[in-house]
Amino acid sequence: MAEAIQKKLQSEVEKYQLLQKDVSKSASARQKLEVQLTENSIVKEELELLAAQNAVYKLIGPVLVKQDLDEAKATVAKRLEYINGEIQRHGTVMSELERKSEQHREVISSLQQEYQRAQGRAGGKA
Amino acid sequence: MAAGMNPHTGGFHGAARLREEGRKVVRGCEGQLGHWEKVQRDYDALQERLHTLPDELSYDVMVPFGPLAFMPGKLVHTNEVTVLLGDNWFAKCSAKQAENLVEHRKKYVKRTLDDLRAVVKSFEDRARFAEGLEEMSGAKGDFVDIREKVNSEETSTKGKRRVAHKPNSRPRVEHVVDLEEDGDGEEHGRMAGWVLSEEELWARLDELESAELLQDQHDRTCDDADGNAEDATSSSSEEEKEGEIGGQENGRSQLERWTSDSHSAQVNGIVGTNEARDEEGDVDGQEDEESAAADENGNVLPTIYFSHTVEPKKVRINTGKNTTLKFSERKEQKEQAKKKKKNGRANGSSLHEHHKITTPADIYRVFVDVVNGEPVPRKSILKSRSRENSVCSDTSESSAAELEERRSAFGRVLSHDEPAHSDTSDGIAEEDSPPGVPQQPSKGFEAFSGTVVEKDPLPLSIPHLTIATPALPTIPERKSEEVAPDASPEPPKRVSKFKASRLQQR
Repeated sequence: MAEAIQKKLQSEVEKYQLLQKDVSKSASARQKLEVQLTENSIVKEELELLAAQNAVYKLIGPVLVKQDLDEAKATVAKRLEYINGEIQRHGTVMSELERKSEQHREVISSLQQEYQRAQGRAGGKA
Repeated sequence: MAAGMNPHTGGFHGAARLREEGRKVVRGCEGQLGHWEKVQRDYDALQERLHTLPDELSYDVMVPFGPLAFMPGKLVHTNEVTVLLGDNWFAKCSAKQAENLVEHRKKYVKRTLDDLRAVVKSFEDRARFAEGLEEMSGAKGDFVDIREKVNSEETSTKGKRRVAHKPNSRPRVEHVVDLEEDGDGEEHGRMAGWVLSEEELWARLDELESAELLQDQHDRTCDDADGNAEDATSSSSEEEKEGEIGGQENGRSQLERWTSDSHSAQVNGIVGTNEARDEEGDVDGQEDEESAAADENGNVLPTIYFSHTVEPKKVRINTGKNTTLKFSERKEQKEQAKKKKKNGRANGSSLHEHHKITTPADIYRVFVDVVNGEPVPRKSILKSRSRENSVCSDTSESSAAELEERRSAFGRVLSHDEPAHSDTSDGIAEEDSPPGVPQQPSKGFEAFSGTVVEKDPLPLSIPHLTIATPALPTIPERKSEEVAPDASPEPPKRVSKFKASRLQQR
């Protein structure tokens, strides 16, 4: 009885840990995205500060590729959009993961109680 | 952070932990602050450099060549810088523009720094609050912790716990439940529907109304004796009344189960007096007794009386609207017929059986009128002989033997009936009776019944009376009215009544 519960508990805990890993991964990804967002927003603002005759380059690998200013602006805007979308997506994913992990937590706590009870019973018998 | 949200949970320990957490956050913020301040200083220096860079056409500089070596060089194009905007975007711009960009960056850095400082400040405040909290929980300071324990019983409603209805459930069910709860003491096995309860309510109303009427009648009978004329009623109504009595009886007897035992002793004594008084009434002043009965009913005082059996009128007035009562009545009729047949076979059944009296109500069942050959319980046994006879003659046969037979039949019928009624008839009518009005205990009847009435009326009735009188002080009027005058002079006659009937039979 107690062993079965322990096994179940262990598997649940493993699942829970996996879930937690996912959550943390998602959170770190989201944080990265946040950083990128701020960076890109700064870029965008600074691009606004530049005049039309200023040359704009994009570092692609080892080379600086010259880009048109307007093009650069559009690219940055698109990038911002993408980042925002990604952040949103991560937000939903994270909430989903949180919900799941909450469920797992409940299951685990109930299992723990059961296990303890079973152990207590076993102890009482022995 | 969580500890900061609910600092009360952990008490002293929680406060310490709260401070610890606050300190951690503040330390992290301070590290970031240092970083950003360095960035700010860098930007300041950069701005300065950018500001002064275009001042000269060229600079002699030591150019870093790898991590180790420097080599002399010349910095030209002093007004031409390539700025990393971020995300691998570069922009070629003049020193002046670069300066602007740096200014923009500095603004951002400043914002970040402000944010961080705000965070640090808030956490320092929290840390201070935690210290205060520590003092408070340690009861060192002038603070008094006011705590109110929430008692779950207090919070719940006074009745049972209220539970929200399920979406599809009808709230009407709740009422039924309430009513059942009220009548719980009387009818346990009964499944009361809503309609039935309503009828019971009506029955109760009828009863109350009848009581009122009775009071009026009593007033009238006090003035003149012609109130008796109303007693001569149709057989059907009498039967009905009998049924009602049975129903009430049952209801009461069930009620009694939960009345206290200490009560029962007292009740017992009163019962005795009641019975004794009934006997007196039989022999003695009919009107007097009648009025007394009415009186008993009329002043609803918190004394213990079997008003329901003593005053049949009350029930008689009750209309047959109540279906449950009707049902019981019908049943009773059937039962009566059966019993009568049986009795016809075993005609001269033993007298003792006839007078098997367990409750005061049984006394009335002993006295039966005959209507169309069917025994019908008399409304009042307190009427004079002459009137009884007249009634009997009115209804047709009135020979003494037959009367006795009827009596015996009825006595048995009703004694058998009573348990049968307990589930059909309802005591609900009594459910509203105030708790102050005590009920007669079923046990109590048996204690005195047979002996008091028949065998040894004089010695037994008197002790009963003596016992009862202290319990009666609530109705001094009645006590003076009958107990005093009736009890003393009449006892010998009282015996004669039963004896006479017995002799008659013989």
